[in-house]
Amino acid sequence: MLEHVQNSDWNQEKAAHLLNRAGFGATQEEIERFAAMRPREAVDTIVDFEKIPDPTTHPEWAVLDPNQHNEYKAMRLFSGPEKEKQRRRMRRERNRQTNDLRHWWLERMASGPRPLQEKMTLFWHGHFATSIQKVKSPYLMYKQNEIFRQKGTGKWLDLLTAVSKDPAMLIWLDGARSNRKKPNENFAREVMELFTLGEGNYSEDDIREAARAFTGWSLARNRQEFTYRERMQDPGAKRFFGRAGKFKGEDILEILVRQDQASKFITGKLWRFFVSESLPPRLQDELARRFAGHRQVFAPWLKDVFLSREFYAPEVMRRQIKSPVQWLTSTVRSLDRSLPPTVVSQQMLRQLGQFLFEPPNVKGWDGGTAWINTNHLLSRYNFAKDLVEGRYGRGRGKNEYVMTKLTKGEPKGRDAMMERLMQSRLSRMEPVDVSKLLPEIQETPPDQILSQLENRFLSMPLKPSRRETLAQYLQQHPQLNENSLRRAIRLLMCTPEYQLT
Amino acid sequence: MCDFQEPTPENLTTRRDFLRTTVLGGALSWTVPSFLASTFDTLQASTTTATQFATGKDAPILVVMQLAGGNDGLNTIVPYTNDDYYKARPQLAHKREDLLPLNDELAVPKHFSAFKDLYDNGQVSILNGVGYPNPNRSHFRSTEIWHTASDAERFESHGWLGRYFDNACEGSDPAVGIALTKEAPQAFSAAGASGISLSRPEKYGFEPTGRGEERQMQRSAYEQLNLDEDDQAGATVAEVGIPHNPHVDPLDFLERTAMDAQMSSDQIKRVAKETKNEVKYPGSNLAKQLALVTRLIAGGMPTRVYYVSQGGYDTHQNQSWTHQRNITQLAEAMQAFLSDLKAMGLEKQVMVLTFSEFGRRVKQNGTAGTDHGAAAPLFLFGQNISPGLLGAYPSLAEKDLDKGDLKFHTDFRSVYATLLQNWMQLSPAQTQQILKGNFDTLPIGVRAA
Repeated sequence: MLEHVQNSDWNQEKAAHLLNRAGFGATQEEIERFAAMRPREAVDTIVDFEKIPDPTTHPEWAVLDPNQHNEYKAMRLFSGPEKEKQRRRMRRERNRQTNDLRHWWLERMASGPRPLQEKMTLFWHGHFATSIQKVKSPYLMYKQNEIFRQKGTGKWLDLLTAVSKDPAMLIWLDGARSNRKKPNENFAREVMELFTLGEGNYSEDDIREAARAFTGWSLARNRQEFTYRERMQDPGAKRFFGRAGKFKGEDILEILVRQDQASKFITGKLWRFFVSESLPPRLQDELARRFAGHRQVFAPWLKDVFLSREFYAPEVMRRQIKSPVQWLTSTVRSLDRSLPPTVVSQQMLRQLGQFLFEPPNVKGWDGGTAWINTNHLLSRYNFAKDLVEGRYGRGRGKNEYVMTKLTKGEPKGRDAMMERLMQSRLSRMEPVDVSKLLPEIQETPPDQILSQLENRFLSMPLKPSRRETLAQYLQQHPQLNENSLRRAIRLLMCTPEYQLT
Repeated sequence: MCDFQEPTPENLTTRRDFLRTTVLGGALSWTVPSFLASTFDTLQASTTTATQFATGKDAPILVVMQLAGGNDGLNTIVPYTNDDYYKARPQLAHKREDLLPLNDELAVPKHFSAFKDLYDNGQVSILNGVGYPNPNRSHFRSTEIWHTASDAERFESHGWLGRYFDNACEGSDPAVGIALTKEAPQAFSAAGASGISLSRPEKYGFEPTGRGEERQMQRSAYEQLNLDEDDQAGATVAEVGIPHNPHVDPLDFLERTAMDAQMSSDQIKRVAKETKNEVKYPGSNLAKQLALVTRLIAGGMPTRVYYVSQGGYDTHQNQSWTHQRNITQLAEAMQAFLSDLKAMGLEKQVMVLTFSEFGRRVKQNGTAGTDHGAAAPLFLFGQNISPGLLGAYPSLAEKDLDKGDLKFHTDFRSVYATLLQNWMQLSPAQTQQILKGNFDTLPIGVRAA
């Protein structure tokens, strides 16, 4: 099991698969570059991403604001309409920053130099699913995101500990409100059920005892960081997984990752994310064994996976449903275009069911077939139109974060605002430059154009009947101009095949 | 085929005819989509089993209406003879002369007169004091609790209506539930088919570009590209679409969904276009949603659950005018909806449930508004229920409040249980499975049409 893929089997198809799954798709040039390497070299290049320089800076507002706490305090001095005005101002600023953060991250995924780093960050965001709706601080969401980015391929215990002490997590699962008199069990439960072991692998007693051990982990509000408060800590002895001691939070986490089930649980979830929904028990055991062998460090384990024959099995390749983020970023990459304006990309991810920093609940996104229902599919088809053919925004709206003045009777609220912004100039998008994608198209026969399109956008052949349909569409346009080519590309994206990677 | 006890053979014939004539008629007969194929299988089988396919045409329909933001129950159903009410709300309390009494204890504001008419006609039940233990006062979390029917301390990933689809509607039409909202409500989230959401029917479908003939070319290309030729009758999206089911081939799943999308979009667009409302609706957003619901029902959609939403109830400041506008719109939209249903002979078939994530604080705040509270009244509109006021109004006395909020006496999941069991005709076991617990049904006269 998990034997290496042969050098002689390495080709463009496999290189493309690696780039799709370990990242967010690739251009033809990147595929060729990776296909020219040996598999080991290709995988090392992707996994050892620290060697690739990353000049991206953090969002300008994402720094600790020492005045913020005072500002909140000062709020109390206001009353009446003035207080409401202040509150609204702060809310608006928060929304602006959150949108900015989403765009910043999407940019890193769509065109950043370290795709795997971002892919792992996305995995951890779904795993430790924390929502801005409760945390209410874009700065803290950014900090958590950075933990995923910096520690995402490192040692499991290091990452788990950092996330458990992360301010956003302390707010999200109520750790910050827990104390020895009233230990809050929310985090204690989820750390076992969702983060390390899975349901049924612990007892209710374990939860109660762990909750006691986590008391004292708190938040220094003014510094917006973790702090340990001795007097909130329950100093007594706890019984946890058959052991007894005056455990603290760190001890609990260490005991948890040492369980055999812990290695199984997290590697199984990663396998489903990167490879396949199908995981036979024997392979699951082998994955866990390898992970333990790598002292629970993710990077070398990921190399094992990306080099394995199982990863390149026919039933694995092009058999994963693209997540909305994958769909958007890889489409942008393959079209060689920039991301849509923030209003549009947000609307897309919201409507397609993967709104970053707002996972649906503590369990994160289900993924797989849950990404697709009739609504989502039709939305993908229609958003593909915007990405390929562009969109005209007209009408009002100078600043995307300032609500335009409402005329009487117009609906209010976030949905209504999004709706208006989508019709405003801010949603304007240029059509894709086809001459860049398909040079000298006038000379090319339709069948060859189709092959080029398949190659570029699907990395798999279409079903013959569908290929025939597209060929017919092209033949209906003897004078192939840029418009009809764009429409053909859009139609290609309106297929079941295009939803797979 | 949502489970539905006591099938009657004559209904069955109607349904089969209906499916033949309306869905398979016209230009759509080139192939039988997966969900219909299995529906026919079920129809053949259902003469001998206790389950059958129930279309919207003759089965009970539930319309769920969210009043988003937290409706101020106290200023909607007003305890006008209670001094505590006036003490707690010096500016916000409705004056007696601005009220229409329901009895010697409770009244509604004058601008809610359309509601009073419905009340007098026996078309509405007011359930007082509904909530849940350990109320959460965050919009986000409390909405989630109502949508997923969970305890305040537990998380459920699927919605209560989604679990209804999963448990009682296996293998159904993708349009088993329709939300008239841009995004699917969490209540619809399901392991299998999770209904459809659409804000405008004309937008629910493939949108071609360009002009004239070009549009037709694109449309027919789209139709061909999303035609599932090797469709084998039997399996449907609802059956194969369980997340993490390793036996599902993703391409197969996508092809079936694409087919379903095409079918349901054609169907919805046609029904919405061809069916006309019998009465004129007010211009509010909510009224528009309800007008569409009526058309979809009248047009014979197989949908059992509709979801509509009205926003603007988060009234922290200068509440009076906003709240007045909201509930006036609500009442007037409901009035039009119910008379439209009546004109079409559908009034016995539809029940409307309203809910809001919480009520509001008894005491008004410093900005002539109210903050997030707990228990509140909810409404059921329809014919098959005991009309009037049901359940005691929670006490407003200081000592009886929970952190300044009204205490609930009726768990909202008992309301859900009552509707699932007595209206949607599920067995107690199914109801228990959907609500993940045993909640007593309420003796409020809910019965199937």
